[in-house]
Amino acid sequence: MGIKLIKILSYLCIAVAIITTLFPYLWIFTASIRPFGALIQPFVAFVPTFENWQAVLQRPGFSRSIVNSILVGSSVALISVGIGSPAAYSFSRFKTGGSLGRFVILTLQMIPPAVLVIPLFLMTTRLGLLHSLFGVIIAHLTFILPLIAWFLIGFFDQIPRELEEQAMVDGCTRFQAFMRIVLPLIAPGLAASVIFAFILSWNEFFYALILTGGPSKTLSVVLGEFWTFRGIELGQMSAAIIVTVLPVLFLSFFVQRHMVRGLARGAIK
Amino acid sequence: MKKRHLISDRILFVLPLWITVSFISIYPLISAFLTSLTDQQLVALAATKFVGANNYYAAFKDVRFLKSITNTVIFVLYAVSLEFLLGFMLALVLHRHFLRRIRGIARSLLFTPMFVTPVAVGLMFRYMLNVEYGIIPYLLRTLLGIRVDFFSPSYALFSIVLIDVWQWTPFMLLLLSAGLESLPQDCYEAAKVDGAGAFATFWYITIPLLRPIMLVAILIRMLDAFRVYEYIYTITRGGPGSATETIMYHIYQVGFRFFRMGEASSKAVVFAFVVLIFVIAIYRALRRYEEWV
Repeated sequence: MGIKLIKILSYLCIAVAIITTLFPYLWIFTASIRPFGALIQPFVAFVPTFENWQAVLQRPGFSRSIVNSILVGSSVALISVGIGSPAAYSFSRFKTGGSLGRFVILTLQMIPPAVLVIPLFLMTTRLGLLHSLFGVIIAHLTFILPLIAWFLIGFFDQIPRELEEQAMVDGCTRFQAFMRIVLPLIAPGLAASVIFAFILSWNEFFYALILTGGPSKTLSVVLGEFWTFRGIELGQMSAAIIVTVLPVLFLSFFVQRHMVRGLARGAIK
Repeated sequence: MKKRHLISDRILFVLPLWITVSFISIYPLISAFLTSLTDQQLVALAATKFVGANNYYAAFKDVRFLKSITNTVIFVLYAVSLEFLLGFMLALVLHRHFLRRIRGIARSLLFTPMFVTPVAVGLMFRYMLNVEYGIIPYLLRTLLGIRVDFFSPSYALFSIVLIDVWQWTPFMLLLLSAGLESLPQDCYEAAKVDGAGAFATFWYITIPLLRPIMLVAILIRMLDAFRVYEYIYTITRGGPGSATETIMYHIYQVGFRFFRMGEASSKAVVFAFVVLIFVIAIYRALRRYEEWV
């Protein structure tokens, strides 16, 4: 009797949690196919329409901002993994920089954007690169690069040293052993890092808002413009939200498994 | 010969990271600190004067800044404790043996909010909580007869808390689930043999064993919550009045609405010191957690 009640309550609890989680996605999706009149009345019969989707895709600057976000995200992801993986390897194998090194890496990824944004803004202005993608790529690297280095340490820790030592006995240099033996072994970790870095960059708003403008605006910045004191475009906004959220939700399923490792691991010893 | 190489290799591998980081983070960090000692304004860069610690004295007398700190602290305390309680409850429920078949899929779905673009989350809830055409006030009105304006002065900050809870409870669930799964099974068997009841087992075994990861989860989430910005920007812009003005939004206003870079930098540096205290705590908690695992 008691057991049965616990079971029912448990299922109920999970059901409520899942509905609360999924409902906003569904609601915004239905809003994106509502005609104008049905957007401001929650329960009213309506004929689905694609006019919001058409309008948003033809909206000036919208598709450009998607391209910008993809460019920024992939640059940030590739640079982070390119620089972060040898560093993580060194942290894992040689304990380079010891405890202090790891502490600095952890601190760097947590510096509040409000501190760095003013110098970065002045730097990019001086270089004449304000409103280009350069500033926002640098700004995203300030937290994503240390985070990826941190994230990768745990993957290297799991590869036995014997493999690369054997390769070095056979005449490889350390760098060759790293490239040919170690990196292929942590390929899943590298892939997860690239995806993780891309998601973080895609979702970032504060730096992008300040450092991009005009044709260099990223998707998150453009999304923020659908509902301001200047005007509201509920239908287009809903379609734009789906466009923004769908790619990262899809990608997130590949990295969920690795999240705990990335957050907690890497601090070992 | 191999040994000699080892020294230079380890440095060569980290060198690109340290060089990049010095340019993109450490140099700007120092530069921000120097700016905080001046009265720099973007509209009159040439007229910048050194003012010593004046900005810092002024910051702590600035009512608006102090209000933004209070708002942020209230926000963080409510949001993180709700997220912790809900996340822990869900983790415990999902950990039950009879739910093992749906565990995988349930978690995959429940984890999704933390990956959603925060600006999108802000706009989604701004729409759904809108007093005139939002679905949630509509349901509350028609089903329960409750009339509530989620973004009125007295509720706005709490509504922002609820939005944060929607997005970040999954983070607590993720870490606490991982923690529950890593608990050593033999403790539970020993407790069973000794005849401990369900509550005693929970209180004297589960909670103490989970404490390190609870601490890590709470500290990371608090640190993150301190930087709340996107929901404020997309929904309330700090209003009504200054009811939802948080530290990040305040600094954004000072620096990029009023272009007072010196003042904004000094406030950002104060904020960075608070963050540093949290990072030290997180680092120590992580090390303790790792030792235990």
